[in-house]
Amino acid sequence: MTDTIVAAAGIAKRFAGHVAVADLSLEVPKGAVYGLLGPNGAGKTTTIRMIMNITIPDEGTIELFGDRMGGRHHSARIGYLPEERGLYRKMRVRDMLIFLAEAKGVDRARGAAKVDEWLHRLDLGEWGPRKVEELSKGMQQKVQFIGTMLHEPELLILDEPFSGLDPINQQVLKDIVVHLSRSGTTIIFSTHQMDVAEKICDHVCIIARGRKVLDGGLAEVKRVHGGTHVAVAFEDGAAGAEAMRAVADLVAAADDSGVFAELKLKDGVDPQLVLERLMKTGARIRRFERIEPSLNRIFLDKAGPDAADAEVAHA
Amino acid sequence: MRKVWAVIRREFVERVRSKWFLISTILGPLFMISVTVLPSLLMTRAGRVNHIVLVDEGSGSFAERLSTQLQATGRYAVTVLPAAAGRDSVLQDSLTNAVRQEALDGVLTVSTATVESGMATYRGRNISSITDMSVMEGLLRQTVVTERLAQHGVDASIVQDAQRGITLRTERISKHGTTGESGMVTFFLGYGVGIVLYMIILIYGINVMRSVLEEKQTRIIEVLVSSLRPFQLMLGKVIGVGGVGLFQFGIWGLTGYLVVHFRVQILGAFHVSAAQVGAFTMPAISGGLLAVIAVYFVLGFLLYSALFAVVGATVTADSEAQQAQQPVMMLLVFSLIVSFAALNDPSGQMAVVTSMIPFSSPIIMPVRVATSDVPTSQLVMSLAIAVASSLLIVWLSGRVYRIGILMYGKRPNLKELWRWARQS
Repeated sequence: MTDTIVAAAGIAKRFAGHVAVADLSLEVPKGAVYGLLGPNGAGKTTTIRMIMNITIPDEGTIELFGDRMGGRHHSARIGYLPEERGLYRKMRVRDMLIFLAEAKGVDRARGAAKVDEWLHRLDLGEWGPRKVEELSKGMQQKVQFIGTMLHEPELLILDEPFSGLDPINQQVLKDIVVHLSRSGTTIIFSTHQMDVAEKICDHVCIIARGRKVLDGGLAEVKRVHGGTHVAVAFEDGAAGAEAMRAVADLVAAADDSGVFAELKLKDGVDPQLVLERLMKTGARIRRFERIEPSLNRIFLDKAGPDAADAEVAHA
Repeated sequence: MRKVWAVIRREFVERVRSKWFLISTILGPLFMISVTVLPSLLMTRAGRVNHIVLVDEGSGSFAERLSTQLQATGRYAVTVLPAAAGRDSVLQDSLTNAVRQEALDGVLTVSTATVESGMATYRGRNISSITDMSVMEGLLRQTVVTERLAQHGVDASIVQDAQRGITLRTERISKHGTTGESGMVTFFLGYGVGIVLYMIILIYGINVMRSVLEEKQTRIIEVLVSSLRPFQLMLGKVIGVGGVGLFQFGIWGLTGYLVVHFRVQILGAFHVSAAQVGAFTMPAISGGLLAVIAVYFVLGFLLYSALFAVVGATVTADSEAQQAQQPVMMLLVFSLIVSFAALNDPSGQMAVVTSMIPFSSPIIMPVRVATSDVPTSQLVMSLAIAVASSLLIVWLSGRVYRIGILMYGKRPNLKELWRWARQS
């Protein structure tokens, strides 16, 4: 048994007229919470479908659990939440979940017990005998999420699990993901919400336009791709704007929000020098702090509109 | 196999639980009851009396005699109106008006030439009533013949004697001897078998298509195909839905049996006497025939539902499905139409050939078995072809289905379908 749960090597998928994924390689270590990050249309869903064996890659190979038998062969060990949510609308919630468990090969009685346990845990207990179509969208999403976990999979693949959920339910889902991760489940999920990814991922892979931009452990990615970042806050916006002009030649990229700015400094620039220049302008500074770059910053640098020619980099 | 069982169970339980199943199961027997009861009620019902005027253009006593005959049937109340030549058209106009205003049902005109040439005219509102017209024509013929014979000096009583009723009784002879069934009963049995098989294969085949389409439209298909093989899914679906068909068939069959068995009591409630009920020979539905129907239903359903599953898998919207199901429907409709021909000549070349062709045999062969003695060799051959081709079609459909269920957008043409089927 290898420690790599998913290993994709040079996979590519073309659809009529356009390349969805090109020469993508990634490795998901056992027990990781692996974030597949990228803007809309980057190829996240296509990549996940190839891992799940729903679409066949045109090139490259995918190994799951150390072999090439494919997603369906390992079906019992994988839980999958597709991007396109779908349930049997006319079925009762409980019956449908039991069916989904059975489709994964879980014994009916055991499946029923699991279903009740999870419905209760996600506050959906009283909805069990109701029809799926009577549930709100958020509840349906929770139900579908339950459907992916009933067979206690070793690998959970979630395609945009948080989209469309309110903050409360996002939190509930996050807690479950963290809980499952602690109990040893490997989790792959795709998202374009960097703040969420930053909080729960320990590995990330950023893809843009079908190609991998960077991947690796979160801390490593931040170290290698981060550069020197400082956060600055001014007391008033106008003075701040003037102060920012004074340091413009030292800054490589700025996420300027008026009174607050996150600055990426040019290579070799000492933050101390930046502070001195700012002080000289006479602007009143509320905060000056050397910070870790946010994943969002790295994401914008590497996959944003300015990064069209970004090189493929490995951490 | 456990996964297939889960799919079968879901398809079966969800359907049997639905309102649609309850309604169609109840309406089915009601339909059967009305088929058994209505003809009896209609036959015993006294016909409405038609008020007609018999215009006599100088035919002499002929008009009177015809009038008496017509009145005797109880169907007609006749007023004889002698018309003088010349005033005729005025009279006809006013009578036509009376018919138009529904004061009269019709006008029968006989003239001097009627006996000679056999020509009479009837104009009225009830000419589409086949019984009314055949009674009138029959009586006219009888009266004319009597009149002609009388003119040749034949005694009226001899004429009457010569015209006593003639009936051709038809009885079906099978290998087991005379069955006592009339041609009519055999015809309706075969007709019923054909219609029921057609309906049930069509209804449940379309059910399979809808089920496939639903999974595709709700996108739950992605979860399913990541859990089980598409063929397992399709197989479970076809068996599950077919099971519902057989189950409903069973309920109807049992109800039908009970209705036929207790028909004297049931019809008694409608004030139909036991003697009248006994006048109808019920068709003998043997266990063998039921077995043939069941086997061909299973084979026909397998074949057609696999085709319908392909239709469901290759379309994305309901409106597309309507269109794409046409070719499959045509095969079924064609089979039903040919089965009518097979009813007329169950051992004819057309019937024999179509009972071998896999797409039409599920309907034609049971019809042939119901209406004639099918040689065992033909039955065996037809079954062998049907089994082999059903398996082949299911297998091919499975391959197309597998690819189709994950395809959205443009509907594939036949060439693409064939490529899908060959892809491994």
